Amino acid sequence: MNGSEPISRRRLLTGAAAAAGGAAATSLLGACNAGSSGGSGGKVTLTVMFSAADLPKESIADFEAKNPGIKINLLEFDATRLNAMLASGNPPDITIGAAVGSANTNARGLATDLTPYLEKSRVLRKEDLQPVNNSFRWDGRRIGQGAYHGIVKDWSQDATLWYNTALFDQAKVPYLSDSQPTDYDELLAIAKRLTVRQGGRTKVFGLGVEWAWTLYGPIATMILQQGAQLYNGDLTEVDLTTAAARRAFGWFVDFGRSGVGPTSLNPLPDGSDQSTFSAERMAITQDGYFFGGNFVKDKALSGRVRMAPAPIMGDKRVSPCYSGQGAWIPVKAKHKDEAWKFMEYYMAGPPAETRAKSGWGLPSLKSLLPKLPQDLPYQKQAYSVAQRELQYLAPLPDSPYITVDGWNVTLDKHLQRAIKNQQSVDAACASVTTEINRLLKQGKERIG
Amino acid sequence: MARNGWSRYPRRHFYLFVGPWVAGFLFLTAAPLLYAFAVSLTNFDGSSPRWRWIGFRNYVELFGDQAAQAALVRTIGYTAMVVPLSVAGSLGLAMLLNRRLKAVGFWRTVFFLPSIVPMVATAIMWKLILNRDSGIMNAVLGVAGIRPISWLVDPVAFYALVILTLWGLGGGMVIMLAALQGVPAELEEAARVDGASRWSVFRHVTLPMISPVVYFQVITGVITTLQIVIQPLLLAETSSISTVGQVPQSTRLYMVQVYQDFFLHNRFGYGSAMLWVFFLVILAFTLLVQRSSRLWVHYEVDSDADR
Repeated sequence: MNGSEPISRRRLLTGAAAAAGGAAATSLLGACNAGSSGGSGGKVTLTVMFSAADLPKESIADFEAKNPGIKINLLEFDATRLNAMLASGNPPDITIGAAVGSANTNARGLATDLTPYLEKSRVLRKEDLQPVNNSFRWDGRRIGQGAYHGIVKDWSQDATLWYNTALFDQAKVPYLSDSQPTDYDELLAIAKRLTVRQGGRTKVFGLGVEWAWTLYGPIATMILQQGAQLYNGDLTEVDLTTAAARRAFGWFVDFGRSGVGPTSLNPLPDGSDQSTFSAERMAITQDGYFFGGNFVKDKALSGRVRMAPAPIMGDKRVSPCYSGQGAWIPVKAKHKDEAWKFMEYYMAGPPAETRAKSGWGLPSLKSLLPKLPQDLPYQKQAYSVAQRELQYLAPLPDSPYITVDGWNVTLDKHLQRAIKNQQSVDAACASVTTEINRLLKQGKERIG
Repeated sequence: MARNGWSRYPRRHFYLFVGPWVAGFLFLTAAPLLYAFAVSLTNFDGSSPRWRWIGFRNYVELFGDQAAQAALVRTIGYTAMVVPLSVAGSLGLAMLLNRRLKAVGFWRTVFFLPSIVPMVATAIMWKLILNRDSGIMNAVLGVAGIRPISWLVDPVAFYALVILTLWGLGGGMVIMLAALQGVPAELEEAARVDGASRWSVFRHVTLPMISPVVYFQVITGVITTLQIVIQPLLLAETSSISTVGQVPQSTRLYMVQVYQDFFLHNRFGYGSAMLWVFFLVILAFTLLVQRSSRLWVHYEVDSDADR
């Protein structure tokens, strides 16, 4: 261009539009094409997207010392960033994710089939994996069978209860059984006796169900315990108008109306039962085995807590895992072999042993179960309860066409309305059915 | 080609000066807009390679989406409440602190301080204050015999959000204070000498003189308030992505709905369509405020259009 030529507004606008269009097209193509990552100087840089709390510097240093050819680049886990990295075709080499709900990730073709690695591994062996890992299995249609697409890091029997014996004593309520499950209706009645109110405010909650964490987990469990099914055969439709589903939903409505525990209509400031339970303002919390890790350093409270089996609704004992945090390797990861080495180290090496000994969750490997802490009386009691509960583990139904969060949002919306008497339980269940089926249909269209 | 007028500098200087802005605009504004538009024509889920073009189906669905429409109406209502309150509040505070008071610097700092506290900290503070069972607000009301109020759930959560938003109006106060201090004292004195009341001086001298700043506050306030998303999420039960599902209906603003579709339902295509429609809505509101400014904004110099 001649520098002294007059500026044409049209030319400037046309050029700008072309450049912007080019940039946008590049972005769009970038979303489809693989990017690049890698190492320098003969060393492979392994991009690990984990929560920094789960991967201390000592573990990184230990892994790098044992694997001199690999350097770890730790990215703090961020779901939005992970989405962007996956979309751009330049994902981390390994990242974290829950086993329950992994059907959606797997159906979208995002995770690597780990079965060939497992078959060759001398460290991580299929026969040593706890059944909870089956939630990471995917055969192209459903979970529980087929190829492994992730390995659980640690897990918990999430429906099991923890309770404060001092608050039980104050309310003159007998302790819960260590071996027999409490019926859900009985549990609600106990919670009412344990709840202490003062001036319209709740001083002590009888029961916390971690409402903010998951509603899908306990409701799906209640349906399973009644011997009913949530989904149809190909996981494309649900029916919550069945007697079993209405009973499960109705229990939560009764729970919300009774005011014995936090709900989204009376939320806790931090959205979690832990601080309220630790402040001895909550008598029972449905938080699973892992919750016991909170009491190791709290000498006073550790002498007053006990664990109880998962409550039951119906005849079939089910003590499920609602999440099962683990790790998976994206299909487009650049260093899968090195990522597997890290997987072996993290899931079966020193970090796994340290985690098992801490009591923050149950280990993913059968061989690590004896490492669980049993030093303190409450740890010993919880260990025996957890051991007995293992036989009742069953995978929660998991459709690839919807996320657990999608379930939770819909359930919470209609539970709120039912609790506030804006709709009946039957109408709420019908609405949940309609809305979840719509989400399933949208998911099916996306995934194909 | 004929050249009209004269040129003091070579043309390339023009390009050198506008170049950085044009490049920023193209790559950081125009390209993302076009990219989002392209995504809005797909069923992209944010990460999977299995997406396909679906034409304008997302837009068609959006026009029948009652939740999105309700969120849009709620957002407009929220903006209509918050922007006047924050502009009037910051102007009121500025007038209060534009007087000769003892320790005026201290008071200005006190009122300005909340606006520099990070939003996350402010939200946590208000969540603790407004908690039904352990919050100080209900404890204080309890002393007066008032029953506990569930501040953070429907329908009161809307007002909790308004309180949280207005908590930071100290920032606007500083801008208004600067504007008030730029009003020539002789103009106000002259009006008073002519017998004007305090209200008349404010209405006919002070307000017109600071009207460009008020206009700035209104237009930026409208644009930012319409796009609010963090505050409703922070006031909700937890702080994870799934929090968006626990945002009460009354604080479920349009951007919260967009966030939900993007990150909870992984509907990046639909979310992008929602954003494009919202972009046009914000543009329309901005133009409306801009047009209305001709009626109430007083400039001390003539604009090009008036010449």
